[in-house]
Amino acid sequence: MPLVKRSIEPRHLCHTVLPRAIKNELECVTNVSLANVIRQLSSLSKYAEDLFGELFNEAHSFSFRVNSLQERVDRLSISVTQLDPKEEELSLQDITMRKAFRSSTIQDQQLFARQSLPIPLQETFDLCEQPPPLNILTPYRDDGKEGLKFYTNPSYFFDLWREKMLQDTEDKRKEKRKQKLQDPRMYDQVYRYLDLPGQVRGNDRTLEAEKVPRAPHDRKKEWQKLALGAELAEEDPEEALKHREPNGSAAYHDRSGAPLYLDGMDGPFSLAALPYSQMNELLNRPGDRMYTRPHDPPPPPPMHPLGDIKPPSMISSSSGFSDSRPQSPAQTHGFSSNTPPPPPPPLPPPPPPLPSMSGSGQRGTPPPPIPPLPIQQQPPAIPPPPTLQIAPGVLHPAPPPVAPPLHLSSPARLQQVLDKGPPPGQLDCTLLPPPPPPPPLPLPGARSSSPCPPGPPPPPSFLSGAVASPLSHSSGKKHAACLPPISDARSVLLEAIRKGIQLRKVEEQREQEAAKHERVGNDVATILSRRIAVEYSDSEDESEFDEGDWIE
Amino acid sequence: MSGQDDPVQREIHQDWANREYIEVITSSIKKIADFLNSFDMSCRSRLATLNEKLTALERRIEYIEARHYVYVFLYPKVTKGETLT
Repeated sequence: MPLVKRSIEPRHLCHTVLPRAIKNELECVTNVSLANVIRQLSSLSKYAEDLFGELFNEAHSFSFRVNSLQERVDRLSISVTQLDPKEEELSLQDITMRKAFRSSTIQDQQLFARQSLPIPLQETFDLCEQPPPLNILTPYRDDGKEGLKFYTNPSYFFDLWREKMLQDTEDKRKEKRKQKLQDPRMYDQVYRYLDLPGQVRGNDRTLEAEKVPRAPHDRKKEWQKLALGAELAEEDPEEALKHREPNGSAAYHDRSGAPLYLDGMDGPFSLAALPYSQMNELLNRPGDRMYTRPHDPPPPPPMHPLGDIKPPSMISSSSGFSDSRPQSPAQTHGFSSNTPPPPPPPLPPPPPPLPSMSGSGQRGTPPPPIPPLPIQQQPPAIPPPPTLQIAPGVLHPAPPPVAPPLHLSSPARLQQVLDKGPPPGQLDCTLLPPPPPPPPLPLPGARSSSPCPPGPPPPPSFLSGAVASPLSHSSGKKHAACLPPISDARSVLLEAIRKGIQLRKVEEQREQEAAKHERVGNDVATILSRRIAVEYSDSEDESEFDEGDWIE
Repeated sequence: MSGQDDPVQREIHQDWANREYIEVITSSIKKIADFLNSFDMSCRSRLATLNEKLTALERRIEYIEARHYVYVFLYPKVTKGETLT
């Protein structure tokens, strides 16, 4: 049965109830009929106006199209007729800058959506009875769905189809990814870093999700490998001492983020527990073996001038730590004289602040001069390398920040990682907390924190606050770092790092999924084009499908 | 007879006249409605034809522009590549 688009309002002229007290009923009926005729005329005129309006709109849009077409024809004719003379004038830049020809075909979509309903039909629809107001129950639902969706959902089938299409697209993409992964794994990384047009351009939506989730996975693998290597040495702190080479270099930014970071974490010594020199060694140990300069000497000497700040504590920590190490007897001696307080308490605060300070101060200095620490050296940090560099010469930045009172050992630790994180840069940037702003905060915190044990509880809170914004896993790492130093710290840190990576990967994937869903929108053409692109075309062909072209 | 129910007859006569009048009006209204419907349909069919022609022209223009683009911008690149690059 055809739907009536416009119906004249008073359908029956004289089907009305006549009032009782009427003498001349015939006249009454006549008058009523005439009145209804007038109403019919009014509705007729209203519909006529609407009808002509629709026709006018359509013709108007055609006029726009004709005008644009006319312009294009003119442009084309001009460029064609003037082709020969201009051929010589084309500059090389002009040619190279031109992209491939992009067809801007507009496809009609959403033809029968609620928005495209004609006005008279919309009015008829409004006259209909509304569905029950089940949406008022929506705030009380647990799953977050709208209440009315369970009663009537106009977009149900489209959502179903869209999910199916996106799933198919993902499956096809994964298949392709597996095919690509059959090549040596290096190729993927090469592709990623080279930013090849075939892969990167074109279908950003299909490739971005591939690239981003893959990145954390690679890093995680690397870290795992390094973790395994570092954990083996974890059991023997002595070995670390022996292996550790004093290095004052801030090669952090030269080293790859993953190995450096991981090594720092896996080191047998936690950040807090290690004295300044040791921390530097551990931090410098990762990836770069070039730096083999003993870092112990540099840290101690600079500490002396600090004097007012916390040299004794720092020195004591370093000295206390170095005592156990046969390799740095000289430094130890030097420190022992200055370090009356027991090593453990001062250990956590001093090392973190120092590395952080040096790190902050020396971020800009290039790594080369700093000798790399042996891989066995543990601790996480990136901060150590910078600190070592600074230690020899630039203690100024370090001392001021160190001066602030010590609050928490964990903050210091956090600070260390924060400071060291940014400079290394290459390290997994995600792991590094914001360095510059925090320095003053963490340093004071580090200083004030006394022994490590009290550190753990406060650090988590502090860490969560400080690190919350930048990285989730860095906070997790800090938590682990605050635990009893040395042996446990490494494993805990490692676990925290792993969890952090996991968290980050999941977050990124979730973000990717969300972004992908947002980007898709409700375009059938877009979804289909994406699916077809993934299914049938190569990577180059994917570039042909530009989402913007398909939106009406 | 005409005088018997004069008022009634007159009334009825008048009523018939009114009804005829109303009938004329309503039939005119119906004619207007028919005219509007047919006008709408014919207009839409003509506009659809126009739309079809426009779309065909647009596609041809796209094609010609693409060919021209290749010929004007990309082809010279190939020929000039030896001299300029």
